[in-house]
Order: sequence, then structure tokens, then C-alpha cells
Amino acid sequence: MTEIGTELAPITREITQIQIGAYADASGDFNPIHLDEEFAKTTQFGGTIAHGMMIAGLVSELISTTHKRTWPESGKLKIRFKAPVRPGDIVTAHAKVKQIRGTELTYSVGVRNHKDEDVIIGDATVAVVVE
Amino acid sequence: MPLDYVNLSIGDAVSCREFVLDLETVSKYVAAVGDQSNIFEPASASPMAPPMAVGVLSLRGVLDDLGIPPGTLHAGQEMEFLDSVLVGETLTCLATIAQNSVRRGVRLVGVKMDVVRGDRTIVMRAKSMIMVPA
Repeated sequence: MTEIGTELAPITREITQIQIGAYADASGDFNPIHLDEEFAKTTQFGGTIAHGMMIAGLVSELISTTHKRTWPESGKLKIRFKAPVRPGDIVTAHAKVKQIRGTELTYSVGVRNHKDEDVIIGDATVAVVVE
Repeated sequence: MPLDYVNLSIGDAVSCREFVLDLETVSKYVAAVGDQSNIFEPASASPMAPPMAVGVLSLRGVLDDLGIPPGTLHAGQEMEFLDSVLVGETLTCLATIAQNSVRRGVRLVGVKMDVVRGDRTIVMRAKSMIMVPA
């Protein structure tokens, strides 16, 4: 039974520059901050960083794994990108039920890096299927 | 040609693109993010696209039309999924400006997107907040 505080099984992945390159190809986002080490060194981050939406995909995967097709049919996601993810970082997506209203569940969601820093924070809401 | 961000006003249409959510593109997306949720089953007769793939691939054309300068950062994202989308569907993404302000030397631009299918039903609404070097 789902109740407030219930947590979904987290997803953990290591992020690599190869994966960032593959995501750039797939998404069409070739911003040099993700791909060009020399350019990225001149920015506040001092090196390349992953696309925010690539990391956000982990949150969507987490909710999809539990809620299956109700996520693409009724899901709402609101997130903020708090910190960059660099190649070599190990990130973990997490979700905990924070509100149950009628047939809707709202999760507090996010992604943390291996230093336990929040890189994404937000909420995800999904309809509950009553069988 | 890149947009003149200074003169963008709320409500300005910045992109309207039709695209096909084809199997190859969705497969590339799923492989890149390593999605293991099984929402996308390429061997099925009518595979469903992961909802984030719909969002990201809709953003593709918007990014092109915005001509974002190097160093632009993604600050936040809202997405509302209204219906599942099958691989092979033709979608249209309409993007308008929702916010354009400068704070502490950084331009914050909000872009609203409606993604519609052929019968004009909306399958996704989204809002992206990006920080453009001022």
C-alpha cells in the first residue's frame, strides 16, 4: 500500500563523456559546454557537464518503472537543475511520496551525486490506477 | 540566424516545427539515457515512446530556432504528459516566450511548448527555463 513517505527503488548510474556525446547526437543539443573540453574549461564549471535533461531522464525512468503507462498518460514533472553533473560522477535518482490527493500521487523527486549533493530537485505527480 | 533575446516579448512565437517520432531517433534517445523502464519496447507492433523522449525530441527544433549561444544553461523544466505517444506519430511543437528578464547579469528566458498530434490534441505541455549569457 502506498502511503506518504513511501520511497521508490532508486536508480544509480555513472555518467560518462561517451554517454554525453551520445545524448547530444540523440537530442540535437550540441552546446559546447557539454562536448568541448577546451571551451568548457573557460566556463564557471571548469570542464564539460552533462545535459540537464539527460540526468532528468533518470527521474522519468524511475516513475515509469513503477507507474508504467499512467506516467506518459497523466504525469507532471517540475524540476530545477541545482548543480552540474560531470563525466565520472555517479548519480542516483530518488522519489518519495509527499502527498496523496484523490487519485493523484505527488512524489518529491531528485537526483544526487556521489558527494550527496542535490543536482536536480522537484516534484512528480501521477494518477493512481485503481484496479 | 540567432534570435535577438533582448527584444523577445512574452507571447512571441519562436518555433513551430513538425517532426516524426521515428524508431531510429527514439532508439538513439533510449540508448543514450540508458532507460530500462520498458515503456519503450521496439519489438512490439506499436511501440510507445518514453515521455521524456517526446519532450527532448520536441525541444530539438526549438533549440535550433532559438539559436542559443554557447554557454547557455538549463535552469528548470516543467512537463505535463497528457497522452502516450506511439513511435511513428507525427507531432508539431509550438513554442512561445513565457518570460524574459535579466537578473544579476544573466538573462532568464522561459519558453512554453505545446506538442500536438495530427488531430490537434495536445500530448504534452512543457516550460523550459534557460539562462542565456547576457
